[in-house]
Amino acid sequence: MTIAFKPEETFRGDYSYRNSDAAVLRFPFPFPEDRYMYSVNIEPHVRSGPSDVFLRPFDVDEHYIAECRDKAITLERDPGRCQVLPHMMLAQWDTLELLMESLAADYPALFSLVKEGDDFGSRWTWTNRPLGIEQSFTFGDPATLPCEPFEYITRQAQGDFAICDQRDNNLYMDAGMVTSQADWSLEFDVGMSFMEWHGPVPLAHQTGVFERALKYLLMLRLGQPVRRLNWTMTINPRLDTSPESFPEWGTDRASVTPDNAGHKVHLRVELQTLWRLPRSNAILFPIRCYLASLDDLARVPKWGARLHRVLSSLPPELVEYKGLTRYLPAALEWLARHDDGRELPVGTEAGITTLAPR
Amino acid sequence: MMHSDIKSRPVYQPLVPDLAGGCHLLVVEGETLVPGRLEALVGVFAPVQASLHTWLAGAVAPMSGLGKLWQLESAADVVDALACASRGYGVGDRLYVQGTEPFLWAVATAAAVIGFGEKQVQLHHAGSLRRRVWCTHCHGMTEGVTTSIVACGGCGRHLLVRDHFSRRLGAFMGVMVDAEAPGEIPAIEEVFA
Repeated sequence: MTIAFKPEETFRGDYSYRNSDAAVLRFPFPFPEDRYMYSVNIEPHVRSGPSDVFLRPFDVDEHYIAECRDKAITLERDPGRCQVLPHMMLAQWDTLELLMESLAADYPALFSLVKEGDDFGSRWTWTNRPLGIEQSFTFGDPATLPCEPFEYITRQAQGDFAICDQRDNNLYMDAGMVTSQADWSLEFDVGMSFMEWHGPVPLAHQTGVFERALKYLLMLRLGQPVRRLNWTMTINPRLDTSPESFPEWGTDRASVTPDNAGHKVHLRVELQTLWRLPRSNAILFPIRCYLASLDDLARVPKWGARLHRVLSSLPPELVEYKGLTRYLPAALEWLARHDDGRELPVGTEAGITTLAPR
Repeated sequence: MMHSDIKSRPVYQPLVPDLAGGCHLLVVEGETLVPGRLEALVGVFAPVQASLHTWLAGAVAPMSGLGKLWQLESAADVVDALACASRGYGVGDRLYVQGTEPFLWAVATAAAVIGFGEKQVQLHHAGSLRRRVWCTHCHGMTEGVTTSIVACGGCGRHLLVRDHFSRRLGAFMGVMVDAEAPGEIPAIEEVFA
């Protein structure tokens, strides 16, 4: 397997981010049915599923290099996007180990990890070929890395990461690397309990979704990660849709017309996985973000039609919460052209293996 | 305005002394001692009077019946006093706080630092509903907010005051209200008097 990286593409400014045909076909489309509502849609994170993004525990794709660069830009502007409370050092090392071991095992042409020396091989050498990094360090000794271990490894990974400490039958968001979030603030949420950080989500509390999800997660076992998909919409292929930078991207929402919606409006899907960590007993919560424009999605006829139906029937509370109010009519007008009203099979699979030419 | 669909919004209860506690520390924001409230507290805390210390912040009122009384100037002095509490507090001790919301969380956060667990602390909201608002954009705090929209004291943006609450910051989230359409600012209402 070789990945043709696109190191020059951007997620801001001229927004040169594009998906190849292969990237469109492997997009983790989140809607198996014509209507959407919150549920406890958690399943085992096994190496299979309706999209290739599920084949490896930590998916690396053609956007890897460009995404890591965008993350570095965001951190440079706002270092507070990475925060770790002082009691989380062990969980930091757990995270570094999990990511390095997974990436090296699943992408041997891209990453390698060598463990040598006494103390059970605590002398580690990490090689990241796409980013041109080689680092020797002592596992467990933060002074041997250029920054703390959580920041070090999550700068080299796509997506956001939170670590939830488990105590008092609850989960607390006590660490995070959050540079591509769907409008939530780590600075505000750090240290919050599970119910608190989900506080603003409408409708789901009343149906008991969060109580059930929390109970489930408190029982999460080592070596048995789980996953779910979440979604929202973003104007332009922008990773940094934080509330901090809302003044920069808020006006984009007013720029959508039925004519430009195809390339402006993006479906933003989060592959959220949850991992019990071995030493700290904390839970690692990676949130991997995939972006596809309506143009991309409509090239898969089933997805274009289904997205039209899901968005047409979305409860008004979710339209408001997800920030779609201002541009949803224009997006629906664009999508309606791609929905002939035929019955669509249940499931998220694309149902085709090649795309018609653009 | 005390109830909200947003679950990060704390729900407060009346103070009730925990008879199983060792030492009892009652911290009261002076401005919330409206007529009748002092007498009510004296009645409620009578069973633990012998082991009760009361810290009264920001009001000078001759009073008795609330154990050993200490007068402090402000919430900041309460925070300092807790930070310097050299006798130490143990797991058997109890803390009760009455005040406005910014006061409650200033005290609760300082108490957590010196080891008070959640179950040792009771918070009772009294007095004004005014809010401390945290600006999502510049991270500045604006104190004493009583309106639905407020100009940020840090960056000047007009912030919509949300119900989403951070205990760590003791503040509600403020988000630029006209970020999507600059200049379109809805009517500002007095809602947290």
